[in-house]
Amino acid sequence: MAADYVCQTLDPNNPDGPRIDVVFPARYTLGLYKHSPVDFENLRAAKYVLENTERIFFGVREFNEGGWCYTGRPSTWYIRETIEVPFPKNRLFAVYVNPLMHVFECRAEFADDLDPLCPVNWRDRYRGLTWPKDIF
Amino acid sequence: MAERHFLADTIGSKPTFSAEPWYSQDGDCLVYKMANEASIADRIDELLTIYRSAEDSCPIGFQIKGIAAIIGRFGLAGLSISSKCDAEAVRSVSIAALLLAAYEDRPFTLSRRIGYAEAMECEQSLQKRRIPFSELQPA
Repeated sequence: MAADYVCQTLDPNNPDGPRIDVVFPARYTLGLYKHSPVDFENLRAAKYVLENTERIFFGVREFNEGGWCYTGRPSTWYIRETIEVPFPKNRLFAVYVNPLMHVFECRAEFADDLDPLCPVNWRDRYRGLTWPKDIF
Repeated sequence: MAERHFLADTIGSKPTFSAEPWYSQDGDCLVYKMANEASIADRIDELLTIYRSAEDSCPIGFQIKGIAAIIGRFGLAGLSISSKCDAEAVRSVSIAALLLAAYEDRPFTLSRRIGYAEAMECEQSLQKRRIPFSELQPA
């Protein structure tokens, strides 16, 4: 029986404070399990990013108020179900979290030319960078 | 040997590949991947993302975001089009109609046209080209 999975990540409202719970909802992970096994395997990369976050962005969806994008670079990822390779350069792994701290999307994206830990065109896509504040 | 998946105990360790569109309640988005391989998300606009093969950059699927908003704007009736009046057509949404509605929603540009054309090409490979209304309930 599928169940929600909880791990710990930075609190986007207080990144320097204690870590908080973030949930991988069962219905989301089950969807990947049924329809996209490679993406299911790459939930490992998503968990890594939540536990080793490099950037957090806010204002990530036009039609859904709130939410966050956590980014990072796992050392490896799966390109086929059983083939694990180094994570490519000029890419990053992004994990999207709603205001309830429920993960709703995990995916590799093209990286920004100036900062490879930011998604390409991030200034146009998101309302801003939440953390770290002192890099731009 | 690969490390055991952290969800193996709660979901399983033998995922299946079903090349069918599915609706993510938490993301309020429709996701379709026609190949079981890693992809890079190429965001076309606020509503459409193309999944490109990590190996050769070819489109292998797409994601349509903001499904509730699209339905709110166009209405279920406006998205239920079908070439024949079957019982299923009046209880489901055409994925092609969703793509066209999303395309209409923003200024027309060359990059958007190309992105939506790529999504339509992927859509042609779908066996299941409709999503029942009952599945389109956001969290």
